Amino acid sequence: MLPVGQSLPFPIEVISGDRLSISIGPQHPGSGHFRIIVVLEGDIVAEAIPDAGYVHRGAEKLCEFRHFVQNIPLLERTTLPDANGIIFPYVLAVEELMGIQAPQRAQYLRIIAAELNRIVSHLYWLGIYGPFLGHTTMFMWPMGDRELFMDLIQTIGGTRVTPSYIIPGGVRNDVPDYFKDQALKAIKYFERRLKEYDKLFFSNPLVLKRTQGVGVLNRSDAVALGITGPNLRGSGLKSDTRKDETYSMYDTVDFDVPSYPDGDCWARNMVRFYELYWSMQIIKQAIEKMPSGPFRSRLPLLTARAPPGEVVARTEAARGCMSYYVVSDGSSKPYRVRVSVPSFRNIIGIPHLLKGGHLADVPAIYWSLDYWPVEADK
Amino acid sequence: MSASPTVEQGLADAVKARFGEKVVEVKSKPTRVKISVDRAILADVAYFIRDNLSFDHLVSVDGTDYPKDNVIELIYHVTSIEKQEQRKYILSLATKLPRDAPISPSLVSVWPAAEYHERETFEMLGIEFTGHPKLEKLLLPEDWLDIPPLRKDFKLPGR
Amino acid sequence: MSEPNDFENFLRRVATLVFWLLLLVPVIIFPIAFFGSLFIPKQILEFLFHSSEPNILFVLINKAQNPFLAITEVNDFLGLGPCVPAFSYIPPPNCSPTFFRIVVFPGFTFVALITLWLGWYERKLVAKIHMRYGPLYAGRISGVLQPIADLLKLLFKEIIVPAKADKPFFVAVPLLTMGISAALLAVIPLSERVFIIPPESASLGLLVLFAILGFYPIIILMGAWASSNKFSFIGGLRALHQLVSYEIPWFLSVLGVVVLTSSLDPFQVVRAQSNIWFIVPQFIGAFVFLTAAMAELERIPFDLPEADTEIVFGWLTEYTGMNWGILFGLAPFIKLYVFSGLFTLLFLGGWLGFASLPPEIWFLLKTFIVINVIMLVRVFNPRIRVDLLIRFGWVYLILLAVANLFLAVALKALGVF
Repeated sequence: MLPVGQSLPFPIEVISGDRLSISIGPQHPGSGHFRIIVVLEGDIVAEAIPDAGYVHRGAEKLCEFRHFVQNIPLLERTTLPDANGIIFPYVLAVEELMGIQAPQRAQYLRIIAAELNRIVSHLYWLGIYGPFLGHTTMFMWPMGDRELFMDLIQTIGGTRVTPSYIIPGGVRNDVPDYFKDQALKAIKYFERRLKEYDKLFFSNPLVLKRTQGVGVLNRSDAVALGITGPNLRGSGLKSDTRKDETYSMYDTVDFDVPSYPDGDCWARNMVRFYELYWSMQIIKQAIEKMPSGPFRSRLPLLTARAPPGEVVARTEAARGCMSYYVVSDGSSKPYRVRVSVPSFRNIIGIPHLLKGGHLADVPAIYWSLDYWPVEADK
Repeated sequence: MSASPTVEQGLADAVKARFGEKVVEVKSKPTRVKISVDRAILADVAYFIRDNLSFDHLVSVDGTDYPKDNVIELIYHVTSIEKQEQRKYILSLATKLPRDAPISPSLVSVWPAAEYHERETFEMLGIEFTGHPKLEKLLLPEDWLDIPPLRKDFKLPGR
Repeated sequence: MSEPNDFENFLRRVATLVFWLLLLVPVIIFPIAFFGSLFIPKQILEFLFHSSEPNILFVLINKAQNPFLAITEVNDFLGLGPCVPAFSYIPPPNCSPTFFRIVVFPGFTFVALITLWLGWYERKLVAKIHMRYGPLYAGRISGVLQPIADLLKLLFKEIIVPAKADKPFFVAVPLLTMGISAALLAVIPLSERVFIIPPESASLGLLVLFAILGFYPIIILMGAWASSNKFSFIGGLRALHQLVSYEIPWFLSVLGVVVLTSSLDPFQVVRAQSNIWFIVPQFIGAFVFLTAAMAELERIPFDLPEADTEIVFGWLTEYTGMNWGILFGLAPFIKLYVFSGLFTLLFLGGWLGFASLPPEIWFLLKTFIVINVIMLVRVFNPRIRVDLLIRFGWVYLILLAVANLFLAVALKALGVF
């Protein structure tokens, strides 16, 4: 509890003149586990203060007390919709520290797992974006179609949400025989559905009116503020870690990185929409190109030691560029794991973009940044 | 170390040429360069890296506690976005701060993205950033009265 | 649960007694009285029942043709006439008694039952488009008893009144909303024979609608302010803006039809459509009416007073239990029925149609089609924003409505109608 005489460090109940401060807080249908303190003047937002930390669990500190492999389930649970994407750079960093190289089949399987998670995460984003704008059909359709891809993740990983599939040395198990047919069927169905999504939502005149010109992030601001992921690509920069710094056989599959110069909510939405399409193409190509062979170089020991060193590794998760800085001091537990999550890098977009908009734009802009509070709070 | 100069070597050489002996050490591997400097010239080196070498996109800010050497190492990881051929390199700008008085100049004026990263490093490790617009707790609860959690002498119960 | 105190026990016993009396008296006492009366001398009968019919049973049966006549007779006998005017009787065959018309058919009970199952129908329709089932379990066939289940559940839920709320206003708002929605019903006749306000006194029917509808924004603001909640306040202000902005184009579109028929009487309007339905010359007016009606009903895409992802639940945030059930589940659907019925009367020819079906069924069928159209718009659209809403209402809709009015005046002047 607060000591007597000490007040909270930020204003919540200050109403002076025409200003009204409301807390789009943790218990709000439009916020997630996160609070934005919005100071309103009439209908225009004068100031927006993000207040993160509601679900802070101290993942970075906990990582120092567990072995390298034990950290994989711990770190996965910070980003549930995109579990494989979150753990991919950590495993790359640990492999570099320990000097292990994953076989080719494992690298293609890692691509498939990461892209499946990208589709799942984007569909979750879309399924919440609809109700944030008031569009209830856009809650049911993406969540329903997402089930197909959750089933695919279950086929390769074992569970739907946190399969802990990517481990140092390769992947945990091989895919069964029916995976290829199941995947191609799901992709064929969903490519057809993407056209219906376009007609219903992305070309809907009311949605266009509510997202075009709203929350504009121009190019120089995006670079200076450190914004990452589809938000950066929606401001005209064609920057994707999969192309800029290729890892794990991404240079053998052929895909395009969508980007739009507008910088408003509509541009960010369209980037994610096309990323869904390209992820499916990547999965199809990876299934074709996957060689047969071992899927794991060797089973890592639980108490495997890593020689002293430090590594910075990064990949492109669904929400943006995810990077890890792992320091090892020679024991079997990491000395320091610094998790740099895309949502935490994007949090600075919230006060910058919400200022000057309407109250009704707050959910539209906030969710178009695809901010996942659990991930940002680690 | 290959005979022909690599890009990483070129970057390290550029910094060393400008700042001379104040650069404490440089480590480089494929696509990663780590430059350790003295605390006094941290801001100048940051401006140089941003303007002349065009590393304009901050990736993260990290603090690591080394109680054995009695230092806290503060690292800024930056990458380049506008210069396309430099996009795959991450330059880590490091400095070592004394553990009992960790004060460092805030680099918010160089990279505005550092605002929230520095807040988190402040609350987790106790580093004070002079010149930061709003140095408050971000993730920890407002009534946190214990020592900064990422220091090594903060013990988790049961471990 | 605290133990029931003595007063509650007393009330419970009194209620039980009254219930059994009402049930048993007609079944046991009345037959005894009727047959016993055959043996009572004539003078006493004349004194008691003001009639010298020898067979008092015949007289009593004549005067007790339906329960309402019987109560009328009892009132007459007890001398309570002027105190209970609703039970007054207008001779058949034009219509049934007023009380019956207001309360049972085509009045409140009938519409309440329709709205209960409109809620079910909307959920099923929207669910099919959403690729899911909708209500499935309550009632054997595809969840038809779901509204009853919801009604019972809401009746049992606690009605929480916030501590800082303005209690009289807070509790009065659902009843007022319900009252206004029910009052609007009086103007919508189902046919020439089935109505609440008879044709003789319905000469200002459409104006009455506009007058009653003007109360709604004030009541919403009352409810929002009495909730003493920032989100309710914002929602109430939005509702005020929306409802006041869209009443004007709505009434202008109605005026187009009024100009064509030179009367505000719903019966006249329907009779004037016997050649052609007014949706053909007044198609702009029909579009404006439908859009403004959706805004008055606070349906998606105009549901920003209750935008639950922006302002928790808007002005309805603090209403729980049956308060919420009335405000969100009953009153809006009654208003939906009223507006759709009005659209049918004004533009779709009311109860005119082939003679193979009775006119009441035609009216209900056309109203049902209009309700479907309004429900389908909800499935495909997101919510609109306040500034876009106000610009649309004040600029575009009023322009269209005024253009429509000019068209109507031109048609009337040219003698087409």
